[in-house]
Amino acid sequence: MQSTHLLAASLCVLAGACATQPDTAAQSAAARAGEPEFRALYKELLEINTTLSVGSCTRAAEAMKAHLVTAGYPQSDLHIIADPKRPQDGNLVAVLPGTDASLKPIMLLAHIDVVEANRADWVRDPFKLTEEGGYFYARGAADDKAMAAIFTDSMVRFKRDGYAPRRGLKLVLTCGEESPNTFNGVKYLIANHRELIDAAFALNEGGGGRLDGKTGKYLFNGIQAGEKLYQDFTLEITNPGGHSSRPAPDNAIYRLSAALEKVSKMDFPIEFNDATRGYFAAMGAITGGAEGADMKAAPEGDPAVIARLRQNPGNNSILHTTCVATQLSGGHAPNALPQRAAANVNCRIFPGHAPEEIRKQIETAIGDPGVKVSFQAEPENPGPPPKLTPDIMKPIEQLTESMFPGVPVVPAMAAGGTDGRFLTPAGIPTYGVSGIFTDGETTFAHGLNERLPIKGLMEGREFLHRLTQAYAGGK
Amino acid sequence: MKHAIKLTAAAFAFAAALMAPSALAQKAQPGEADFRALYKELIEINTTASVGSCTAAAEAMKARLVAAGYPASDLHMIVPPNNPREGNLIAVLPGADTSLKAILLLAHIDVVEANRADWVRDPFKLTEEDGTFYARGAEDDKAQAAIFTDQMVRFKRDGYKPKRTIKLALTCGEEGGFPLNGVSYILEHNRDLIKAAFALNEGAAGQIDSRTGKYVYNGVQAGEKIYQDFELEVTNPGGHSSRPVADNAIYRLADALRKVEGYKFPVEHNTATLGYFARMADLNADKAQAADMRAFAKNPVESDVAERLSKDTTLNATLRTTCVATQLSGGHAPNALPQRATANINCRIFPGHGAAEIQKQLENAVGDPAVKFTMKGLSGPPFPPPPLTPDILGPIEKVSQQLFPGIPVIPQMATGATDGSFLNAAGIPTYGVSGIFEDDERTNAHGLNESVPVKSLLEGREFLYRLTRLYAGGK
Repeated sequence: MQSTHLLAASLCVLAGACATQPDTAAQSAAARAGEPEFRALYKELLEINTTLSVGSCTRAAEAMKAHLVTAGYPQSDLHIIADPKRPQDGNLVAVLPGTDASLKPIMLLAHIDVVEANRADWVRDPFKLTEEGGYFYARGAADDKAMAAIFTDSMVRFKRDGYAPRRGLKLVLTCGEESPNTFNGVKYLIANHRELIDAAFALNEGGGGRLDGKTGKYLFNGIQAGEKLYQDFTLEITNPGGHSSRPAPDNAIYRLSAALEKVSKMDFPIEFNDATRGYFAAMGAITGGAEGADMKAAPEGDPAVIARLRQNPGNNSILHTTCVATQLSGGHAPNALPQRAAANVNCRIFPGHAPEEIRKQIETAIGDPGVKVSFQAEPENPGPPPKLTPDIMKPIEQLTESMFPGVPVVPAMAAGGTDGRFLTPAGIPTYGVSGIFTDGETTFAHGLNERLPIKGLMEGREFLHRLTQAYAGGK
Repeated sequence: MKHAIKLTAAAFAFAAALMAPSALAQKAQPGEADFRALYKELIEINTTASVGSCTAAAEAMKARLVAAGYPASDLHMIVPPNNPREGNLIAVLPGADTSLKAILLLAHIDVVEANRADWVRDPFKLTEEDGTFYARGAEDDKAQAAIFTDQMVRFKRDGYKPKRTIKLALTCGEEGGFPLNGVSYILEHNRDLIKAAFALNEGAAGQIDSRTGKYVYNGVQAGEKIYQDFELEVTNPGGHSSRPVADNAIYRLADALRKVEGYKFPVEHNTATLGYFARMADLNADKAQAADMRAFAKNPVESDVAERLSKDTTLNATLRTTCVATQLSGGHAPNALPQRATANINCRIFPGHGAAEIQKQLENAVGDPAVKFTMKGLSGPPFPPPPLTPDILGPIEKVSQQLFPGIPVIPQMATGATDGSFLNAAGIPTYGVSGIFEDDERTNAHGLNESVPVKSLLEGREFLYRLTRLYAGGK
């Protein structure tokens, strides 16, 4: 794939004047206009706390709506939608009608809720945007307020610039993506406002460019092709407890600790499917050297090769099902023997396995009938991933070549889950693509000190703005 | 001993017959109905640190003393200005002989947390079932708080004029959930109000054989182990849970806890514990264990004997320092790798050792520098046990023989910690005695479904009433 792109690039040079080049430069400049306003919007969105515990998506949705109102959207095209039972967990749907009523619109989907962040644990305030060393630091800087801000900014500019797309555009900013066990905004919209969000397809998180953290070299632009299945399991053990001055041999916390030790040693079998085979083949070629050879050889299943690949958490995550303990609680007072100890084990299940199968495997690995293993929430039943048709892939490939010459587009299975697992089965094929390049290791999405390279963010802004126009057509 | 216990049981059957409602006014348990109402009222005022109020409980008890005729000048609500829920009550019944120092009746009114969902019955409703009272605080320590308050009410109503001044102190913050400890607060701010020759407190009880239901001995506490909590903490940069990494805060903490579980502190002894083993051996129906207790009393060293005795949780707590995991927390979201995992380790330190020394031993046992230990709260210097002089022990033995003929009084070192540590350190010798006979395995103080036998509670009421009058003298 690399050589093909190089060839195309040299042909262009040889031809002397590439007909598309001035056009491209102009498009690029236009797509990057208004950066100060975009930075202000991104900052505003990040600094509105949208955690499940104390935040409000409704506030964030209202703030984004205000930008759209200012840009000239009529109220009738703007919809703040919240489940009446969850007034702080609102969503925003904004519509820019297309000129060709026979074409279904495109959905620009991003979630505006974020994972919890403890100020005490972070170096900087997670709810203040900090610019430092070429990075933006904040909770949500990457996941997913980057795309939420980019899409909102695009919608503002489309209206301001008087852009009349052939295909209508629908911006959908949702809540609850990070708390699937509690509620999910996309599921709510599908159930209650299916018509309003109807679209030919959706662009969403789940894809992204990858760069080499050491050399800074851009490796590939990843498009999401399927995803692992998300499932939380609760491990729980109870005990009569008692006074802690007289410790008893049977202790809920110690038994849970023993169970977690077993879970930590669980090793699910290595598997491949079309998406991951394609990914390793493409990445093997890009990476080159010994690691590249390992990637290309991966599907043959040589244990030594697999063991080397697994040292990289990113590779490990697409080689098989993974389960990891993420939360812990136990006891009710410092001076009382624990009556209950519980842990959350978060699994990302390789497509093709039922959550019940994994639950049984965890139970067997623990081997202690006193430790109850249950579903934290009802398992989901996802359909197959959407097909990457030429209509979808071509604009992505052309734009990638234009912005990042020589960098291939690589379909990849996402190790994380996205809202695509709800929208695709509901008849709206959902594609993960962003054009934001990161090293895949030091973004710390969901973790401490989440950050995003500013260069990557701005490139993603240009990429998605142009991609949306390419799909929507019109002027 | 069996013979004596049978006699006691017969005596109580007789006493119970006398407790028919018609006999209440003049016989063994006058005012029982009032006492039950007071006990119920106190129990049903939630005094947990999370949502409860000691001040509300103290006010309720004060109202009863006012109704009994105490002038306002003898009743003192001591509420720390910045901690309005942590009120304490001191009530004074002046003695006829001002040359004698007062006797202090001390009980704490705060209770350990209790989750309604975990309990069979509502922990904040007093339930009487099959001769047992169930509620949080039924035993620890609202039994003694209610008994002492009831005494003070009766003393005043009956026109009793003690020679020695009697002081009642109902305090908050003994269980450690509240920020302040009531006794140390009063010692610091209102020391004169609780100055006393000596104090009666929780910390000892009568023992019921859990197998036979027979009364074994009446315990008197003189000295106690030191209470110390340690926090174990592991931190980690965290990250997205779809890409687990090898180093995980929860797994490292679990591993550390398994090490703590496996660590045993060395066997120790002092004169109180040797006396306890020697005298308890005579009462022990388990002949093999009795022989072990005698053997240990003669030769108190690490041995198979000590190892066998350690299997009994009560004896184990008398043999050595114990540390046990009581609380657990970790992680911030189900879908994020944990950035922090912590556990509370509750230690009961054998007299003569400092907390820092114990921490070092635990750190060595864990052997992972990534697990950070923090001492919680400040532990005071160790103090010698209060002397069990004939003036103190004589009245206890006398009343005990009146009510529980043939049942020996046994001095003991408490394995739990009480407010006695503060008073002893302040020069007020404090003795734990209650005359409430319990089966430790059923009482479950601090645990689920805490309970006290109704019969034992009423016996304790009688025991402490007589004991206070004997110490205070007068008519």
